[in-house]
Amino acid sequence: MNDDYLWDKSGEPDPEIQELEEILAPLRYQPKPLELPNNFPRRNYFPVLAIAATVLIALLAAGIWLRVKKQETEPPQEAKSVVPSVYKEPEIVKKNTDLSPKPVIRKRTRKKSINQREAVEAKEQLMLALRVASEKLKLAQRRTQGPPPNQIKNQHKIG
Amino acid sequence: MKTLNMTLLAAVLLLTAVLVAGQTQDQRLQLSSLDHLAAKAIETVDVNIDGRLMRMASKLLSDEGDEKEVKSLIAGIKGIYVKRFEFESDGQYTSADIEGIRSQLRGPSWTRLMNFTSKKDGNLEVYLLMNGEQVGGLAVLSADDRELTVVNIVGPVDIDKLAKLEGQFGVPELGIESKKEKKNDK
Repeated sequence: MNDDYLWDKSGEPDPEIQELEEILAPLRYQPKPLELPNNFPRRNYFPVLAIAATVLIALLAAGIWLRVKKQETEPPQEAKSVVPSVYKEPEIVKKNTDLSPKPVIRKRTRKKSINQREAVEAKEQLMLALRVASEKLKLAQRRTQGPPPNQIKNQHKIG
Repeated sequence: MKTLNMTLLAAVLLLTAVLVAGQTQDQRLQLSSLDHLAAKAIETVDVNIDGRLMRMASKLLSDEGDEKEVKSLIAGIKGIYVKRFEFESDGQYTSADIEGIRSQLRGPSWTRLMNFTSKKDGNLEVYLLMNGEQVGGLAVLSADDRELTVVNIVGPVDIDKLAKLEGQFGVPELGIESKKEKKNDK
């Protein structure tokens, strides 16, 4: 007896092996086509697609919103024209007599100071913008309400 | 089913948000196409005040006297954008520059309130954006030989009040009209 039978079924088989083969024979692989049941539940992909679409729309909306926000928060360029300033900038920096280091308070004060400065600049810009807008509207009113020059020329003195 | 309803609701809300954002975009004119004129201009005014800056500026306006009037005028306004260029000589800007702005004002939401055209005094156009009965925005386009001005106000604005503002409420007159008249006299 040799072991070749175990490898390639050649040579003389061992009776014990043969017996085992016979016992296990019903469990041997038997090729047959896959049979699916007729009432197999198909997966509904609609909710998943809806969620995906919502996420996509959300991303799109966020993108648009960020773009709008970015455009709105563009730092206003300073006007070159000399504009008489009406508003007096309030004194923001106060003398600090306490010399001990207070980093947190200083940081807050600095932030507040920056915001204050930004607000003052915004107010000046606002006044300038209102001035230009007002002036143009006033001009428009004058031009629509004012009599045409010929009308004045053609008037005659009565009496 | 419940999940589907929630999803659809969220989608509708998001779409509404997108549409609202789009409408705000419509109200605001894109004026960046005029930026190249700054290099040619002898005087430039470029003001971009968005909602955040409006709120900050509004906080500085007092609740008494003249500033109270300004505060009430700007209440509800979401942004003011102004570009004005003054040139030393004629012909520094082209009709294409104006057309770039005018084309935005041809949209269905804008209505031209007035159009004044004069060879001597230039063009002046006033546009309104109407939200039903209320004014939802304003645009002024003024162009003459040596000056180009675009004003865009986003949000409800009282035009009469705004026109009366010049020379009042601590807003001094710029005297551009008189400057122009003097120029014409020469």
